[in-house]
Amino acid sequence: MDAAYREDLAGWIRVQQEAGLDYFSDGLFRWQDIFRPLAEGLGPKKPEELVRWFDTNTFFRAPEVTSVDSPSVSGVIPDASVPRPRVVTLPSPYTFSRATRQAANRNQLMKDLAERVLRPAIHAVHDEGASLIHLEEPWLIYYGIDNADWKPFEDALATLDVDGVKIILHCYFGDAGPYFDRLVKLPVTAIGVDLIETDIDQLGKRRSDKALLLGCIDGRNSVLEPAAGIVELIQRIAETAPPADLYLSSNCELQYLPTQVAANKVRRLGEVAQKAKGLVKV
Amino acid sequence: MNLAIDPKPLLTHEIGSLDKPGWRVKAYAGQPLAGPDFEEARSWGERLQVPEYERLLDLLHRAPFAKEQKSEIQRWSSLYALRLEESAGLDVVYDGEQQRTEMYDWAVTHANGFERRGSVRAFDNKYYTKAAVVAPISLGAPFHNAEFSYLVSVAEAELKVPTTGAYTIADWSFDERYDTDTDLREPAAERRRKRKAARRDFVLDIARNLIRPNVQALLNVGARWIQIDEPGASTEPDELDLFVDSFNATVEGLDAMFSTHLCFSDYNLFFPAIERMSQCRQFAVGFANYDSRELGTTDSARPGYQVIKKFRDLPSRPALGLGVLDIHSDFIESPELVRDRVLYAVKVFDDPSRIHVTPDCGLRTRSWQVAYEKLRNMTAGVALAREQLRI
Repeated sequence: MDAAYREDLAGWIRVQQEAGLDYFSDGLFRWQDIFRPLAEGLGPKKPEELVRWFDTNTFFRAPEVTSVDSPSVSGVIPDASVPRPRVVTLPSPYTFSRATRQAANRNQLMKDLAERVLRPAIHAVHDEGASLIHLEEPWLIYYGIDNADWKPFEDALATLDVDGVKIILHCYFGDAGPYFDRLVKLPVTAIGVDLIETDIDQLGKRRSDKALLLGCIDGRNSVLEPAAGIVELIQRIAETAPPADLYLSSNCELQYLPTQVAANKVRRLGEVAQKAKGLVKV
Repeated sequence: MNLAIDPKPLLTHEIGSLDKPGWRVKAYAGQPLAGPDFEEARSWGERLQVPEYERLLDLLHRAPFAKEQKSEIQRWSSLYALRLEESAGLDVVYDGEQQRTEMYDWAVTHANGFERRGSVRAFDNKYYTKAAVVAPISLGAPFHNAEFSYLVSVAEAELKVPTTGAYTIADWSFDERYDTDTDLREPAAERRRKRKAARRDFVLDIARNLIRPNVQALLNVGARWIQIDEPGASTEPDELDLFVDSFNATVEGLDAMFSTHLCFSDYNLFFPAIERMSQCRQFAVGFANYDSRELGTTDSARPGYQVIKKFRDLPSRPALGLGVLDIHSDFIESPELVRDRVLYAVKVFDDPSRIHVTPDCGLRTRSWQVAYEKLRNMTAGVALAREQLRI
């Protein structure tokens, strides 16, 4: 089993290197869902309830959080073979707190998870060479957020500020347009949007002080998109409303694609990035 | 169509899949069988009193297997699974889908218009092979007739044929034919509109050109109860009308008992859309996964079953296939826990003839030992409920 894992991981690293990506991921190959390594580190109750992950045919075990007093975060540390600089993907505190099975006060839980679980996790992966944290935040876009929850969310994100670490809050599985004005005020390095669902023109022009991540490769569709249209779109964004910095990625996780299809998508992402870098200045 | 089993209160059945025994998997894959495989075949044959199981043991020692021998081993596997369900005391049985590769792959393998693309994760470390639609969809060959005809010849209990529904097949497939426009320069709303229109064509083509002809073929060989499995039905909350349309397009005008199986969803989403499924005589729905393991028949004791009130109020008054076994856990529900889940449902419906009792979903992720114990406790729990209800 371990040999198969090593082989798969080596192959995945090779794909990223050949594509010319700037940050490297371990592909979360050992993670059974986005919460599992952290949820299992919370103990003693193991997550059991199986819940559909948004509108996909993928399911996660709802985390059971009985205590955040002594979490183990070692499960999120990337394998030593992953090249540097590394990107590590973690659940955003908002999504984490909402996906948890039961909680009397989800905003308190969000704060606790951020301070006691995610912050130690970020420190741990930073010590192991991760300089970019990709926070997955589909819940906010897909289900929405109450007005009263923005401030607790902002406070939770503020606790994740760790020297030397850039944090991207990637909002996907929906249109980020209606939330964008508030998203750009959150204390993170960059806001990620899902371009499959979002009109870039609807994001307004007030984003010069915030970096932007464009989820421009469709992680749920096996059709390989031509690079030219995406590059043209990136160019338009850079010219009309340049962000502080620009990151490119798929619009969501690539786990919905078979490995070979996912590899082709990563190669296409690299191709898009290479072309865009030659044309765009941000 | 009225079946003798239709009005039976607290009728019990499995949903579909069971794990495949090691001897069946290895024999079919051409892998060597070892001592534990022979012992598994022997011990379950003995335990389930499978007639002439010694013939299987003899056959398993004759590797390598020719094509017809592999088919024969598959039929043995069907017979074992059938006997497991009958031995557990179920009223309605099938063969745990022993002759199929998997619920999605089996259907698209027998369809024209699809190409395999590779494996993707469903949950934990469970994967399924996903295909893409690339050409017009049609039925390649009826894909449940052979297994059904065999099972008719050996079953003692009534049969129910599970078959994968059109919406789920579409949802679990990639679309490389109906919606191939990936131009992000178009407004997102326009892209979304095109995607939805394409999706509708895709789903209804599967219903009309693949699932319905296969169902018709089953009816022609004598099937009387067909369960349309739709685990993907609520994946896209804004497509529930499409799911309903696909069910209706599949069964409209056909004479049989039709039911559907739904699982692992927020079931509230199905209402009111499923009110239009008037030909659906039973909704088999998983609830135990969301429920407490404590005993009790009050609302607070049964948090996983609160939504059943909506099923009760469906205008066509279908039965509810009440999922009482969590199929993603080795926890063995006690007969008393099953009893209380059933009694709670009977109390809500005020009509035991509208309550059927089932696992949450197919038991293929559990070992046979666990599946058997769960099913036996399920029927024991139903017996306790009958006793209490005096029916």
